[in-house]
Amino acid sequence: MIEIIFNSIPSFWPEITMSLTFVVSMIVEFSIGRKEKSSTGMTTGLFVLAGFIITILQLPFQNPEPRLLFGTMYSVDPFAMFFKYLILATGIVIIVFSMQSAELRKQRAIGEFYSFIAAMTFGMMLMTGASHLLMIYLAIEVVSISSFILSGFSKSLHRSSEASLKYVLFGGAASGVMLYGMSLLYGLTGALDIFQIQAGLASGVFVPQEADFAVLMISIIMILVGFGYKISAVPFHFWTPDVYEGAPITVTAYLAVASKAAGFAIMIRFFYVTFFDSMVDIGKWVSLPHFEWNIVLAVLAVITMTLGNVVAVWQDNLKRMLAYSSIAHAGYILMGAVVMTDLGISAMLMYFVIYFFMNLGAFYVVMAVADRIGSEHIDDYRGLGKRAPIVSVGLSVFLVSLTGLPPLAGFIGKWMLFSAVVEANFIWLAIIGVINSAISLYYYARVFRNMYLREPLNGDTSPITFSPLVIVTTILFIVPNIIFGLYFGPLVSYAQHSVRIFLP
Amino acid sequence: MELTILFYVFAALTIIPAFVVVFSRSLIYAAFSLLFTFLGVAGLYVLLSADFIAVAQIMVYIGGIMILLVFGVMLTKQATDVEISTGIMKTLPALIVVGFALGTLIMVLTGASWTQIGTIPQIEGTALELGELLMTTFVLPFEVAGILLLVAVMGAALIARKPKEVQS
Repeated sequence: MIEIIFNSIPSFWPEITMSLTFVVSMIVEFSIGRKEKSSTGMTTGLFVLAGFIITILQLPFQNPEPRLLFGTMYSVDPFAMFFKYLILATGIVIIVFSMQSAELRKQRAIGEFYSFIAAMTFGMMLMTGASHLLMIYLAIEVVSISSFILSGFSKSLHRSSEASLKYVLFGGAASGVMLYGMSLLYGLTGALDIFQIQAGLASGVFVPQEADFAVLMISIIMILVGFGYKISAVPFHFWTPDVYEGAPITVTAYLAVASKAAGFAIMIRFFYVTFFDSMVDIGKWVSLPHFEWNIVLAVLAVITMTLGNVVAVWQDNLKRMLAYSSIAHAGYILMGAVVMTDLGISAMLMYFVIYFFMNLGAFYVVMAVADRIGSEHIDDYRGLGKRAPIVSVGLSVFLVSLTGLPPLAGFIGKWMLFSAVVEANFIWLAIIGVINSAISLYYYARVFRNMYLREPLNGDTSPITFSPLVIVTTILFIVPNIIFGLYFGPLVSYAQHSVRIFLP
Repeated sequence: MELTILFYVFAALTIIPAFVVVFSRSLIYAAFSLLFTFLGVAGLYVLLSADFIAVAQIMVYIGGIMILLVFGVMLTKQATDVEISTGIMKTLPALIVVGFALGTLIMVLTGASWTQIGTIPQIEGTALELGELLMTTFVLPFEVAGILLLVAVMGAALIARKPKEVQS
């Protein structure tokens, strides 16, 4: 066992670096950061940023050949690697955004903010590879606890504290139910790592009786509560709008992109590996008989995207609208998991990359505008097209991309997802997805109408000036939204290359 | 036979105070009843030959968390005579949900064929073996749990601190 541990450590450097970044950044904050005259937290922020960059530079050296580390605790494979790149890239962007955010600068102890971002990222990196029920639980919990703290960071704001408290209550309940489900699964199979559980279920040793299938189904649904809460799938989404609205906007963006991606990573690994039976042809997964978990996911996908889109229509706060839109997007992405093909997985991976650019861009513009005009209400966006042309064009591009209209990147993402769904003969699911995209156009169009076709409420047409940094960042996010809409070959091949999940 | 009787004693010690925790209108009563629930659970652990976990349960829950809870209740203003709002609201939906959950769990517990991992071997305490396992097979979860606790402690300190006056 000792040799296994020592052999595992060299492959574990990115994760170790991230955990060190967290611990050492605390020391940096207390020893140097506190002595700064203006408490902007810049020292700690830069330190954490450096930690992120070192970690992402180490990733290419983590050999992506599928294998296990520390016994059966942790899998390394191209699938996990893809998510690690995505999560770290999001983290770097979020740290840079946070350094510009006026909302955060008002807070005391802003240095610690970056430390908790590092802790949360460490948890998410573990979520991408955890292959043992104990690790799955611990990784989810590291992410949850860090995000509780981060979402309540603007303590002076009432809504931020409320968001944090709601998040804690929902999070506690969800992990409790998930643990119960895991204990049932352990009781039935006597194993904790997902490979042994799979072996037990496949050989039928552990589950000889009819009644046990019901118990297994219950335990799967209970575990799904924990995952569903992380990806904010309906009906486990109740925390999402309040937390997204109340949390500092950079945290909201991090939760909407990285935390959701990590949740999907762990969910796909758990379901695909635990109930794996065989591969038919190339890249067509077959689950064990009697475990039609993908039907459960299909139902979840349908209600998630429908509810997310329909409720978003009534939202007047842009942050809240983006929250419901991100619930809807979780529904679209879930469709890729339902079909159980490599094509579906690669479509999901691609969608995550595109979602990264369009969603982070939208959140960034909303943050920049809120910093200037102090509001996220849709009525305050009236006439924005004339007052701040570049930023408005940016927001339009991101929202059109989120709708999934050509020629932007969002269209390619949706098109890949829908074609994977149709290929697997889930035509009804694809039709519901297309109807939902149409609904989403309605509420995004409300923003365009306010920006371009309406006069400001108080008749204030003075231009809003943004710093060059904001303009440059906005343009940096517009560019990939256009490029990936027209030239997506490399992205497709990288996603297809990353579908390999470790199987024993 | 004696063990069976002991089991029922500890089970009663766990469940009856738990009812008091839920239904009591006084925070103090609820907090002190919780003490007995924790004790009962520790007894159940002993019956399962999990001596280390039983001791940890007593030290952590009764020694630490419980004392904190009682102090917290006592130091909170007027906590002794505050009526906690366990008012009767939406009884019917609650009953349906709780009944359904209870029925499901009973069906699960009685219906499933649980895996037997053999009889419990007679060992002199579990602390040594647990320590070995935590440092070998379970070293990664052990370390991650350390990080998790650090995050929780730092976060609690951060939340409890007084907010800064907002800069103009």
